[in-house]
Amino acid sequence: MAETILVVDDDLDILELLKMNLEPEGYDVQTASDGESAVQSACTDPPDLILLDVMMPHKNGFQVIEELKDIEETKNVPIILVTARGQTEDKVRGLDTGADDYITKPFDLREVTARVEAVLGRTRPIKYINPLMRAMGEGFSEKGLEQLAGHLQAAAAIQKKLLPEQAPSIDGFDIATLLQSSTSVSGDFYDFIPLSETQIGIVLGDVKGSGIPAALLMVMIRTALRLLCHEEEAPASILKRINDLVVRDTEADLFATMVYGILDTTASTFTYSNGGHCYPFHWTQNRNITVLKTGGMLIGAFDEATFTTGTCHLAPGDIIAFYTDGITETGTGDSTAADPNQSISTTHEDAILTDMFYGGDRLAACLSKNASLSASALCEAIVEDLARFSGSTQTHDDRALIVIKRDV
Amino acid sequence: MNFETTIETGNISTLHIAGKILGNATDIFRKEMELQLQTGRDKLVVDLTNVSLIDSSALGAIVTTLKCCQESGGKLVLLNPQKAVQEVLEVTQLATVIEIYDTEEAARAAFM
Repeated sequence: MAETILVVDDDLDILELLKMNLEPEGYDVQTASDGESAVQSACTDPPDLILLDVMMPHKNGFQVIEELKDIEETKNVPIILVTARGQTEDKVRGLDTGADDYITKPFDLREVTARVEAVLGRTRPIKYINPLMRAMGEGFSEKGLEQLAGHLQAAAAIQKKLLPEQAPSIDGFDIATLLQSSTSVSGDFYDFIPLSETQIGIVLGDVKGSGIPAALLMVMIRTALRLLCHEEEAPASILKRINDLVVRDTEADLFATMVYGILDTTASTFTYSNGGHCYPFHWTQNRNITVLKTGGMLIGAFDEATFTTGTCHLAPGDIIAFYTDGITETGTGDSTAADPNQSISTTHEDAILTDMFYGGDRLAACLSKNASLSASALCEAIVEDLARFSGSTQTHDDRALIVIKRDV
Repeated sequence: MNFETTIETGNISTLHIAGKILGNATDIFRKEMELQLQTGRDKLVVDLTNVSLIDSSALGAIVTTLKCCQESGGKLVLLNPQKAVQEVLEVTQLATVIEIYDTEEAARAAFM
């Protein structure tokens, strides 16, 4: 059965042009020349996709999207917005309102076909193949969505259980942790794995990407690590094996950065490998800070990635602090940093960029200043410093922090 | 974020981007690169001269596009990343797998 495309434009020539271009590709093409009749047509006979002009008299494209998203029959119909060249604002607003993609006028007809095919290719599997949808039996109904939300909550609960509730207590060391999630499922994680009487595996990481896929990847990495760390000794070999596993099983845009290391409580060493993660700090008693950067690439994107292992010695009173970029990328009045609507800017920004973000230097300074505190008091001091800097206790990104301090 | 894509001789696409690639802007950035690939253009120069910041999903978009380009025999190179972006490329060690150039001439020459 041919898929139906509703083309909406107040320019009749464009309507005709698109129709002539899309019909030979095997699509059924319906047309509407204003927003009002577009909504009517879409409700009467919901198409498989809508190509929607933004600039139309009476009812513009954004209003049409808003109406269609409110109607049960049409709310899941994919929409490609047709915007004027250079109108980035329109594109952002369109995607915000619920459009799936956009095309810029004047358009190349090959581009139109490519975009239509790409969007249909993305939505087709959801409609017809997705086993979850089929299992729900209700398609896209409210009930189905409720069930999905239920699954999401269950996933979040499982994920919370996976994270250690409190840092382990180890003779001779003081360990504290912090995890703040911006959404129900977090991409940041940490774990402590007892390896022997005197050795404990420590990992802190950040799965890039968001939502359920990122959460699943996090669980996969954590499980793999728990198994592998008993098989392999060198942290670099463990990261390599996790990398190869993730490369094989996931898309390239799903990846993680992480530091894994072994704390040896007799030798007082930390042997680690850093897979593309922001460099942990090692604060020494003589008030020196070095960063732990030995390792390799971010994890899970390239099969040719290689890793090396580094070691640092912890003298009495020394501190190691691991963190995720949610901490260093905390912005002033945090909205400035995370608000995509603020994203149009000039090149002068680099000059003030260091003032916009909390950054590694401030974190290092805060660590030095509070180095005499206990590990948990140090975590609190960092959180307070972040709140002072951003003017808010809310966070837009996940934040994780581990502080390890050797007893004096 | 604003951008303009120019197609040069030798079918090299250059994406000139200005601003921060964050949030929804990342989707637009991703789609623009996807479009180049969909229309068969797998020689991409991503001009980061005027980009002050990118987030991790923008990084993901670059990685995905890089791999797609490589699979079809093309290439993605970065032009002139600024301090904050350069730092992210170094920490993640993406700088070891992506070619980075200081000038547009050098970036284009990478495809010759």
